[in-house]
Amino acid sequence: MIPSHQLTFVEEIALLALDDTSGKRLPMPTLGFSYALAGAALCDLFHLGRIDTDPAVLTVLSNAPTGDPILDEVLKVLAAARTLEPVGSWLGVLAQRSAWLEAAADDRLVERGILRREENKVLWVFGVRRYPTVDNHERIEVRTRLRALILGDDLPDPRDATLLSLLCACQLAAVIFRGPEYNARADRLAALAKMDLVGREVSRAIDALGKALLGASPLRI
Amino acid sequence: MEITASNQNDITVLALQGRLDGIASPQLEQRLDALLAGGARKVVFDCTALTYVSSAGLRVFLSGAKKLKSAGGRTAFAALTPAVHEVFELSGFHEVLAVHPSAADATASLAGP
Repeated sequence: MIPSHQLTFVEEIALLALDDTSGKRLPMPTLGFSYALAGAALCDLFHLGRIDTDPAVLTVLSNAPTGDPILDEVLKVLAAARTLEPVGSWLGVLAQRSAWLEAAADDRLVERGILRREENKVLWVFGVRRYPTVDNHERIEVRTRLRALILGDDLPDPRDATLLSLLCACQLAAVIFRGPEYNARADRLAALAKMDLVGREVSRAIDALGKALLGASPLRI
Repeated sequence: MEITASNQNDITVLALQGRLDGIASPQLEQRLDALLAGGARKVVFDCTALTYVSSAGLRVFLSGAKKLKSAGGRTAFAALTPAVHEVFELSGFHEVLAVHPSAADATASLAGP
């Protein structure tokens, strides 16, 4: 059971992917956010002891409900599989449900009083939903903790290693942690980013997708 | 998985045998917590007979090393089998944890203050 005061990885990624002031999503590679949310859901289930992974496959250890409706829905999908599949395959499956994951995570952050929902219209046609921050305490606390981890030499807590790995995978870490002090710690950040096997798979999936899209682009002369 | 503990002065050597997966990892976690509560501060993980480690196993290794370090202690890993070595390399664990070729080397690295 996740303590009620603790954000899930799905919620943390959704929150950290928002610009503090505008409430819009920060720039990420194509489908980067979708895969990061999918990976975050798997990481939540992993840290709750419902699944385990290795470089070859993802295994469901228990389909007992977690008490979190979002994660329980994802767990149902995983538990219904008839064959063992690698993490990368599950990321593809869950990324297709990322719109639902995103909306559910944003709703949860609004319920928690961290964000507020704001509907705007662009050119009076397209509805744009923004999530300005009401309570920035969570975001500041997470960033401060991760900053100390990147700039220091301490061993990471497993949850922090997971979160940092997910942020690196969807290239949000490069947006959030910018500047010369972070550039000097690029090796440390790369080492920390590898420490979560699911995060590593998210990174591989996004890279592969980027290369595939690049290969499919028409030549511009 | 089987865990066999032995002591060499103030160093606890945990010889791990079998698979460290999501089923077995709580057992190792409880053992480490008990050691820590009992005052152990230097732990060697002898992986000579450890045939497999999953994400859950890595998590216990990392949290155990972190808890011991926070308490002023140290950990060392010894004699990784090829399968375990591969996972350590993929996850970069060999870059942040002390890995030694043998249990004797690992124990020697923790000797002294």
